[in-house]
Amino acid sequence: MTVDVNKTDGPGGARGGGPEVIKAIPVRHPLRYVSALIALGLLVAIVYAFAQSDKINWATIPDYFFNERILDGVVETMKLTVLAMLIGVVLGIVLAVMRLSKNPVTSGIAWFYIWFFRGTPVLVQLFVWFNLGLVFEYINLGPFYKDQWSDFMTPMLTALLGLGLNEAAYMAEICRAGLLSVDEGQTEAAHALGMSHSKTLRRIVIPQSMRVIVPPTGNEVINMLKTTSLVSAVQYLDLFRVTQQIGERSTATVEMYFLAAAWYLVMTSILSVGQYYVERFYAKGSTRTLPPTPMQRLKAAVIPSRNLSGGLR
Amino acid sequence: MTAMVKAENVHKSFGNVEVLKGIDLEVAPREVFCLIGPSGSGKSTFLRCINHLEKITGGRLSVDGDLVGYREKNGKLYELKDSEVALKRRDIGMVFQRFNLFPHMTALENVMEAPVQVKGESKAVARERAQRLLDRVGLADKAGNYPSQLSGGQQQRVAIARALAMEPKLMLFDEPTSALDPELVGDVLDVMRGLAEDGMTMIVVTHEMGFAREVGDSLVFMDEGVVVESGHPRDVLTNPQHERTQSFLSKVL
Repeated sequence: MTVDVNKTDGPGGARGGGPEVIKAIPVRHPLRYVSALIALGLLVAIVYAFAQSDKINWATIPDYFFNERILDGVVETMKLTVLAMLIGVVLGIVLAVMRLSKNPVTSGIAWFYIWFFRGTPVLVQLFVWFNLGLVFEYINLGPFYKDQWSDFMTPMLTALLGLGLNEAAYMAEICRAGLLSVDEGQTEAAHALGMSHSKTLRRIVIPQSMRVIVPPTGNEVINMLKTTSLVSAVQYLDLFRVTQQIGERSTATVEMYFLAAAWYLVMTSILSVGQYYVERFYAKGSTRTLPPTPMQRLKAAVIPSRNLSGGLR
Repeated sequence: MTAMVKAENVHKSFGNVEVLKGIDLEVAPREVFCLIGPSGSGKSTFLRCINHLEKITGGRLSVDGDLVGYREKNGKLYELKDSEVALKRRDIGMVFQRFNLFPHMTALENVMEAPVQVKGESKAVARERAQRLLDRVGLADKAGNYPSQLSGGQQQRVAIARALAMEPKLMLFDEPTSALDPELVGDVLDVMRGLAEDGMTMIVVTHEMGFAREVGDSLVFMDEGVVVESGHPRDVLTNPQHERTQSFLSKVL
């Protein structure tokens, strides 16, 4: 933190009676200006192309932004993201533990699951779940539950199964990598203290593997949020489907797509911020001091407190 | 008095490689028992067999009269369940060469973890004992630090405190000072010396000949999976009988 200070008036500086500071003309980089100009020009051209078009009615976007149906769609999209990720994470952990088990049957089944669900497109899987009624007329779970398949397989359940089961395959691989990243000595130390396998996993291995698991999982959440737009194909009224419907009935088709994009951007941005703090939480113990959060950095820069910031003396 | 550890013709193979080729030895209660030998001689493997981190492939090994990893009934051996093995391990503390502290917990939490999670002790009781143990190893002021904020010597002393928190009747030390800077070795050895004075039964795999001579009650020199020479540390170290022992000691002393 004090490096900057040392650079200008440290012991090696001119003030200390050392050698005279070099005053040279820096190397010019004319090409940098040219490339910057070209990039800026292209950007302006694209923005202008959209702005000048009188076919796009920009005013409809703010008009509809907080429309009740749109907000319902946003809620549905978030709900789907959370629930599908929940299925994905829980099932993913189970599959990862299964794959690492010594039992060849369980690890084989986990391997097959991952092979199948990672190897087929999620849209295809959604349609399979949606159309399974062509194969099964009824669902019959003995005394517990019995119903017509079409009543049982609602758009909500189709979407959750399609997205969640697919996600589990990816989460399994992420969790497996995380579990394997924890040093074997940790398991040995825990066993030597008399801890059981499951307790060692829960108390020692999983908390440490989180540091490896969380960053790619954050990616998966953001990815999931966007992938939920596929469920519009199986009659689920998510954000994308709602904007599509509004767009088709009014004349503002493209405007509604822009609106959807804006909402997705808002949601993914919020998730990115959340991811930063979750990662910071799980870095506990792995680095000597946690890096300051953006808020702390801002505070340090604005309020020159004596004990907080070393760089602002 | 029954031996704390008794090994009779203990064999251990990893696949086709035989690491222990018939170890016979006996460790009495309150004894400080040092194991020395070149790397690859099987001394660490033997130590890990005692708390069943490794499974022996032949012979008999018992701790405090009970077979390690097996139960004998009507002349037949039955493998113990994982939970039974875990129960036995509570009484055997182990200190590793690379400390293996839990990095996501503070020093205090490391020491508290096993009594709370394994014995179901209340946090208040465990915390009080943990603080006392950290004080004993000279780290009372580091209770809130994470392992990454401690030096190697400090980490190893926390690791000793963590093992002691389970109030074991036997402590295993697997080259506890080999990963440390020379100037940090002394603090760890001091703690171990204190333990020995309090009458703890200790088996120490070590390269610290000075420690073995001063603190050890008996010493065994192992090479290529067999016990080459054993006796009182002073005798073995100053007057080795076997040629292999002589050549090893001439290199390390």
